[in-house]
Amino acid sequence: MDGFSQKEEQKLLKTLHQEGNKLDLIERRQFLKNSLVMLGGGALAVKTGSVIANSNLPPSIPGWTRQLGEGVLTNPYGLPSEYEKNTIRRTVDWLTPDRISSVSMTPLHKLKGIITPNGLAFERYHGGVPNINPDEHRLIIHGLVKRPLIFTMEELKRFPSISEIKFLECPANGGMEWKVPQMEGLQFTHGMLSCCEWTGVRLSTLLDAVGVKPEGKWILAEGADGSAMTRSIPIEKALDDAIIVYAQNGEALRKEQGYPIRLMNPGWEGNTCIKWLRRLEIGDKPWYQREETSKYTDLMPDGRARKFSFVQECNSVITSPSPEVPLKDKGWYEIEGIAWSGKGKIKGVDISLDGGVSWRPAPLKGLILSKCLTRFSYMANWQGEPLLLQSRAWDETGYVQPTFKQLRAERGGNSVYHRNAIHTWKVHNNGSVQNAQLSD
Amino acid sequence: MHNSLISRPPINENTKTNSIKIVLLCLAAILSGCSQSKTTLPLDKEQSQINNVKSGATVQTDLPPHFPIGNPVSKEVIAGWDIDVRPDGLGLPEGSGSVEDGEELYEEKCSMCHGSFGEGEDQWPKLAGGMGSLTAERPEKTVASFWPYASTLWDYINRTMPFPAPQSLTPNEVYAVTAYVLNLNEIVDDEFVLSKENFATIQMPNKNGFYVDDRPDTNNQRCMQNCKDPNRIKVILGPKYAIAQMTTKNTQGSAETAQDSENKLAIDTYESSCKVCHATGIGNAPKLANQEDWAKRLKQGKDAIYANTLNGLNEMPAKGGRSDLSEDRLKAVVDYMLSTL
Repeated sequence: MDGFSQKEEQKLLKTLHQEGNKLDLIERRQFLKNSLVMLGGGALAVKTGSVIANSNLPPSIPGWTRQLGEGVLTNPYGLPSEYEKNTIRRTVDWLTPDRISSVSMTPLHKLKGIITPNGLAFERYHGGVPNINPDEHRLIIHGLVKRPLIFTMEELKRFPSISEIKFLECPANGGMEWKVPQMEGLQFTHGMLSCCEWTGVRLSTLLDAVGVKPEGKWILAEGADGSAMTRSIPIEKALDDAIIVYAQNGEALRKEQGYPIRLMNPGWEGNTCIKWLRRLEIGDKPWYQREETSKYTDLMPDGRARKFSFVQECNSVITSPSPEVPLKDKGWYEIEGIAWSGKGKIKGVDISLDGGVSWRPAPLKGLILSKCLTRFSYMANWQGEPLLLQSRAWDETGYVQPTFKQLRAERGGNSVYHRNAIHTWKVHNNGSVQNAQLSD
Repeated sequence: MHNSLISRPPINENTKTNSIKIVLLCLAAILSGCSQSKTTLPLDKEQSQINNVKSGATVQTDLPPHFPIGNPVSKEVIAGWDIDVRPDGLGLPEGSGSVEDGEELYEEKCSMCHGSFGEGEDQWPKLAGGMGSLTAERPEKTVASFWPYASTLWDYINRTMPFPAPQSLTPNEVYAVTAYVLNLNEIVDDEFVLSKENFATIQMPNKNGFYVDDRPDTNNQRCMQNCKDPNRIKVILGPKYAIAQMTTKNTQGSAETAQDSENKLAIDTYESSCKVCHATGIGNAPKLANQEDWAKRLKQGKDAIYANTLNGLNEMPAKGGRSDLSEDRLKAVVDYMLSTL
């Protein structure tokens, strides 16, 4: 190329690439013209021929095909495409007085399969996210044990590790909808939910190491965050399937999820899965901490409240279509969604197009694992008719997800937590989708 | 265990049986702290700890009853972190505090969020009142109306209050504030002094208001056809989805200028890190959009406000506690806060 050394040419091409990326399609045409002039025209113009057009669609050759892209390590830790910048967690600001003790929701409408990417897993903090140096963090296990022990993070990783895919859900998921449908989309009605592969050591393995005394019946789990978050966990759960987790979807636990270690109680309320875990005390009785008395208890219509309501019962929701994913043209669509149960595997999901008058089974697809998100799918040929879309899951215990009417009849409107009712989307004849509740 | 193994010479790869290879892989996983690769993992036949493994077995049978990993921990070390208190008083430290002392502390450290009478400012938790409201349309779950145990109050204040300065109170201060909150709830009288000794005498009104989870409480069936009368279905619609418009705008990229996104970052930072004090006035923080609070500071000039933000002032730590943020971002937050005046 006339007048440029190879090095200069590469530098110029890189600049052009970076500048060109900032432009929209219409600007790009003029920019490319100018670039050709800068590069000395001739040879390059021949190569590019006559296909410079203000479109990247066929038959035009797209701009990104006609230039080099970014090299390795442009992003040492990779990020999603810039065109996915709306695939983000969102919050509802009026829910909490500040964002330190608050919650944000997973964009379920954007996700495929059963794994929630680490950066999109919903957040729930009671005192913000601590920034913990793992070298200065310890886990102490003490109380009614033969050998009280203190562990470094490296020592915990010497125990046999397990990896399991489990959902994690805040019991307040859907809790804003006990009286009226006040959320505008799926992210807000069901987004306090994520599902990851968790890696760590079984809590039972650690309890073997300390030797729990026979009178040890409860475990207090405590976090190292500014809320020093605590919950009392029955020893049965600890010995069954609880995990001390240090990795999430293959990488170190994210700090939002409890880095360097958290407790995972599969199928149970997310808040029992204490993050930034620093201490496990074995005792003979529960502690009745704030988060198991004032909060995370379920107020019933008679004025009494259920305590230790740990399990997240069977639930499901249609993720597409949804308010965020409307129908556009008439034709075939995949009605797709997720189902989950804190008591085991999903056995099946039915869907209704008419608000629950008639139901048909929707095939499950992909992995069907215990206490894990499970995908269902049903192909429908939509011809512009209004729909009342619902999904109804049942699990291997035989429990069938209840209607909202059934749940309200038992619990009234003030129990806040564990709202796992069959959900309704109203599909309008223009294809837009709106959150809805049915009287019957 | 593996120290003694490491000193053994490596075995010849060719003499290993398939079953031993499987076990070696399992053992390598157990010894993840050990840097030996599987081809050099030092085991020999005589000293093998895997005698009982049959060909093709995938379960390791030579494991100890428990893994001796981790170190003994002394009572003194545990005591530093063992802060929990149970309803029977187990875990309470020595100490005491009066309602009178508690009132002063509460006014200074708690009232800006919880209100002078425990009524709760804005959305911050209401602490008192609400007796008999648990069956009402809008129940008020307070210390007196709902909390079953006084120990929970002591424990929670001690572990995480005041909100911007967790675990900053002395045991006597926690006794005093607990006593005052109980007094606001008319559970103890004005002269009361709460101590480790008399703690168990406190009786909470809603002590018997809880029962263990008895779900499942519904029994839905898989009806498939004619499950309800379609004419009886009334549809209650929620709000229309509005975020779609924002989505379109943002993906085009050009609708939002760099300045817009800077401003948005500043507001987000205020919301997530500054608001807790600057919305409520905790620690005498000047409140957002409050001319009076800011008058004195504005006289000193903007540069002085920037400097105070970066270096800390009175109750506010340097950079408002967000040492991870850049100087420019913090200045942008100050600009935003001043723009509300």
